[in-house]
Amino acid sequence: MEGTLRRRSGKMWMVLICLMLNCFARIESLSVSVNDVECVYEYVLYEGDSISGNFVVVDHEIFWTSDHPGIDFTVTSPGGNIVHSLKGTSGDKFEFKAPGSGMYKFCFHNSYSTPETVSFYIHVGHIPNEHDLAKDEHLDPINVKIAELREALESVTAEQKYLRARDARHRNTNESTRKRVIFYTVGEYLVLAAVSTLQVIYIRQLFSKSVAYNRV
Amino acid sequence: MSESNLILVLTLVFMFGFVNSMRFEIQSGHTKCISEDIKANAMTVGKYSVVNPTEGYPVPDSHKLTVRVSSPYGNNYHTGDHVDSGNFAFTASEAGDYTACFWAPEHKPPTTMTVEFEWKTGVAAKDWSKVAKKGQIEVMEFELKKLYDTVQSIHDEMFYLREREEEMQELNRTTNAKMTTFSFLSIMVCLSVAGLQLWHLKSFFERKKLL
Repeated sequence: MEGTLRRRSGKMWMVLICLMLNCFARIESLSVSVNDVECVYEYVLYEGDSISGNFVVVDHEIFWTSDHPGIDFTVTSPGGNIVHSLKGTSGDKFEFKAPGSGMYKFCFHNSYSTPETVSFYIHVGHIPNEHDLAKDEHLDPINVKIAELREALESVTAEQKYLRARDARHRNTNESTRKRVIFYTVGEYLVLAAVSTLQVIYIRQLFSKSVAYNRV
Repeated sequence: MSESNLILVLTLVFMFGFVNSMRFEIQSGHTKCISEDIKANAMTVGKYSVVNPTEGYPVPDSHKLTVRVSSPYGNNYHTGDHVDSGNFAFTASEAGDYTACFWAPEHKPPTTMTVEFEWKTGVAAKDWSKVAKKGQIEVMEFELKKLYDTVQSIHDEMFYLREREEEMQELNRTTNAKMTTFSFLSIMVCLSVAGLQLWHLKSFFERKKLL
C-alpha cells in the first residue's frame, strides 16, 4: 500500500509578514511495512530554499531478531531527478539547497520483511534576500536578520528532534538488552537444572532392578 | 505492527509551524493512524478534512471516514463517525503518544481518498492571531515574541533530553549490575547442580550396595 502525504502551500496569517513566515516544520514517523515505499510530499515555494531534516529508524522488534539492516531514503525533485539518496541506514541527517520550486517527494523504502517505524523531520527554510527586499517595500533588512535567526533556531530544534528520536531508539535497544539478560539467564538456569535432573533419572533407571540384570 | 489492514503509524511532533497541514491517502477499507508525542498539560489543536474529489458537489458517501483520537492509555478524546471534516482541541492530561486513527469505509471499486490533516501542539497551538497587531514595529515585536517562545521550548526540550539520558545511564548501570550477579549466580548454580548430582548418585549407589 502506498501512502502519500501531500502538503498544501501555506496559508499566511498576515500579508505584511507573509514573506517571512514560510516555515514548514513537522516531524512524522511512518511505519514502513513489508517491501513498502512510503512517500511524503513537501511543497517548496522558492528555488534556493534550504531543505534540511533527519530521520531515525525506531526499531520495535529487536527482542528476537537481530538489528535491522536499515532503510533507503531518496529525495526526488519536481523534475523527477533524484536530489539526495541514502542507502541502508538506520538514521541520518540531510541538508541541501532546492534546485527548483515545486513538490518534492521524500521516500523511504524498506526492502526487508520486518515492518519498521521511521521517525523523520523535514524543514524547508526560506530567508528573504535582496531581491525580495527590493520587491516589497514593507520588508526591512531587519526582517532578513529575524528570518536568519528563526532559521538558526529551527536548526537547533531539528537537532533536538533528531536527538530525541535517537534516544528513543537507544532506549528500545537497552530495554531489550535488559529483558534478554534476564530471560536468557533464568532460562539457562532452568535448562541446566532440567538437564541434570534428566541425567540423574537416566542413570538411576540404568540401575533399576526391572532393567538391571541385562544392562549393568 | 502487522494487521490485516496496513496501519501506518505516523508520529507527528510539530514545532512552531504556521503551516503544518499535511495530506495523506487512505484506500477503501484501510486504516491510517497518526500519533503525536505530547507533553503533559500541553495545549493541542487538530483539524482534518477529506479533499473533495468532485469540485462543487457535496462529498460522496464513499469519501467519508471515521476518526478517533485517543490518549496513550486508551481514553477517547474525539470521535467522528462517517464525516468528511472536523476538528478537535484539548489539553493533554497525560504525557505520551496520542493517536488519531482514520478508517476509510469499504467501497467497490477500491477508491483512494486524500485527507488533509493538521495537528499542532505546544508553541504552534497557541493562537497567534489574537496576539498579533497591525503596524511594522508590532509585527517585529510579534515575531520576536514567537522566537522567544521557541527558545523557551528549546530550553525545555534540553531538560527533557538530559533527563532521558540520566534514565538511560541508570538503566545501563542496573543492567550491568544484573549481569554481574547473574553470571556469578550462574557459576553457583552450575557448581551446586553438579554437587547435588554427585551427592545423590553416591548415596544412591551406596544404597544399592554397588559402592
